[in-house]
Amino acid sequence: MKKSFVIKRILYAVFIFFVVLTLNFFIPRIGIDDPAERYYPPQGGMSDIEYEIIKQITREQYGFHVSTWQQYLNYLEDLSQFNLGVSLRSGSPRVSALIGERLPWTLVLSVTTLIISLFIGVLIGTVAAWKRGRWQDTLLLNASTISVALPAFFIALMLSFYLGFELELFPAYTNPNMVAQFDWSWEAIRVVANNAALPVISMAIGGIVGYGQNTRNSVIAVTNEDFILTARAKGLKQNTILYKHTLRNAMLPIVTSLGMSISGLIGGAIIIEQIFNWSGMGTLFLEANSTGDYPLMMGIMLFLSTFAIIANLVTELFYVVLDPRVTVGEKR
Amino acid sequence: MSETLDKKTIFQRIGKNVLKRLKRIGEFLGKLWKHPKGRIGLIVVTILVILAVFAPWIAPYDPYDVTQRAAKGLPPSWQHPLGTTITTGQDILSMLIYGTRVSLLIGVSTGIILAFLGAIMGIMAGYIGGFVDSAIMRVVDVMLVIPTLPLIIVLTGLFGRNYFVIVFVFVAFGWTGLARVVRSLVLVLKNSNYVKAAELAGASRWHIMMRHILPGTSHLLIMNTALTSAGIMVAEAGLSFLGLGDPTAISWGKMLADAQGGGALLFGAWWWIIAPGLGIFFAVFGFMRIGIVMEEIFNPRMKASSGIYKLFKNLNNQYVEEVFASMDERKLLTGDVKPEPAESG
Repeated sequence: MKKSFVIKRILYAVFIFFVVLTLNFFIPRIGIDDPAERYYPPQGGMSDIEYEIIKQITREQYGFHVSTWQQYLNYLEDLSQFNLGVSLRSGSPRVSALIGERLPWTLVLSVTTLIISLFIGVLIGTVAAWKRGRWQDTLLLNASTISVALPAFFIALMLSFYLGFELELFPAYTNPNMVAQFDWSWEAIRVVANNAALPVISMAIGGIVGYGQNTRNSVIAVTNEDFILTARAKGLKQNTILYKHTLRNAMLPIVTSLGMSISGLIGGAIIIEQIFNWSGMGTLFLEANSTGDYPLMMGIMLFLSTFAIIANLVTELFYVVLDPRVTVGEKR
Repeated sequence: MSETLDKKTIFQRIGKNVLKRLKRIGEFLGKLWKHPKGRIGLIVVTILVILAVFAPWIAPYDPYDVTQRAAKGLPPSWQHPLGTTITTGQDILSMLIYGTRVSLLIGVSTGIILAFLGAIMGIMAGYIGGFVDSAIMRVVDVMLVIPTLPLIIVLTGLFGRNYFVIVFVFVAFGWTGLARVVRSLVLVLKNSNYVKAAELAGASRWHIMMRHILPGTSHLLIMNTALTSAGIMVAEAGLSFLGLGDPTAISWGKMLADAQGGGALLFGAWWWIIAPGLGIFFAVFGFMRIGIVMEEIFNPRMKASSGIYKLFKNLNNQYVEEVFASMDERKLLTGDVKPEPAESG
């Protein structure tokens, strides 16, 4: 791998990061030019001078008392110290602290979902590709048609209704004490697993079928390659061909797509988290949205975008390492 | 020559053109109808369109009527085929029929506008190249890393929650995937002989882009409209479910949210959840079928399942990004897709 390629990609990622950061700074300012009037509307029995003073204090509190350009510089300075700003919640907690508090809980959901859907999906996809045109393949095709048209949140509602309320197999809502009482004991972990079951299942269904289709197409594409024919002609065992020749090549695009999908999962779990009352980043974001807490919302957005940028960069670099056939510069 | 004759010829020309277009659409629908999968999609979509247009005449009750205290929480019966809501006794079938309007309107209008924007951006990036190309592609790269759903939530919060804003946001952040694919197709078309001939004949850039390159990408655009419409319907239902849709309208997502908030799960009112879910299912299913079948008609070598795979990417929050991922540049460059010669005039 050429060094210049790596440096180029890193510089490009930094550039994208700066654009995202700038957008992140300006988007909330499209709608709000003065936080003072938004958060403290004039109240009765207050003289104009008093209200002006309150507005001035509020502006200084949120850093709006200087010009927009100066605000932008301050924002950059804060970010260089990993300071995402202060939430508007009572007690003014730092945005980074709030994200740090909720991130592990979202990761529990998304990583479990990813692992489950990857393993089962690859298994199903390989079987479907191996039995191309037979009932296993048709089943996967029909399952994917159906599951695409059923949104994950509808599946989640049905699961929560049937498995949660009717059969009482799993809790239909997350116990709010789960997070507060978590102490790494086996009992606590069991409770978390129990509560995570339904959200994970409802998110994994789409993922399983998606990875299944993905693997199937990829495996079929590899099966048609000449080197598989050579392997057959050499008289290698079916299993050797499958594991050592086909899957190894077919998995490449799937493994490299993992980075992107995990950043997608973290951001995409919003609706599922809301249904199951799971205290992750998604619910944090919705809470921030309902109170108009823009520093918190933009902090979460910036975090997710940065995550995606890094995931993209790592994927791109890995891709070149893993697949020597990709010549540097060809993949854009 | 007199003016009247000129007018006559102009009208004749317009009439001919319109007839030609209609004939083409008719032929195309015929092809869809002949395909067994396409027929299902066509039937479902036609039914939905009829329901949406004639909702006030078809719906048995007034879906906005929240005063039916006596009819609260009725399970499905002959009087209320899909039952009533627990909280206010609204007739669910009527709500479902009215909800078709929102879904179709948002889905189809977004799909169409998005196709236009994606086509323009992709064609400009591919044909003009140079600075325009890199500028557009940088924008695409930035859009790809920004999480879509949170951004949509922020923007609807800033601009208000009406459907214009929602469509605008969906379009503004959905065109990137299509633009990428169109761009790669245009890169191929650019080197085809008829474009070269037009260039040599001294046609302007704009003329070449609109009259020669755009027709070559049209099959991609039509396909994309059907598939994105399906994807946007799901996304809109999700937004409404979060309570971020238009608060005054009845939509399927909002019905689901009301069901959850109104304790449908707790009181076992399964009909209140299943009905809107089935609505979403059929709408998405119908449009998806049409999109996939179109793909098979336009590009017979493509496998039936690839369309579904694309839609998956679409729904897995990567949005319309890589809706046509499998038609990558390599395939196009080796001539897997043969550009149709554009008609002149």
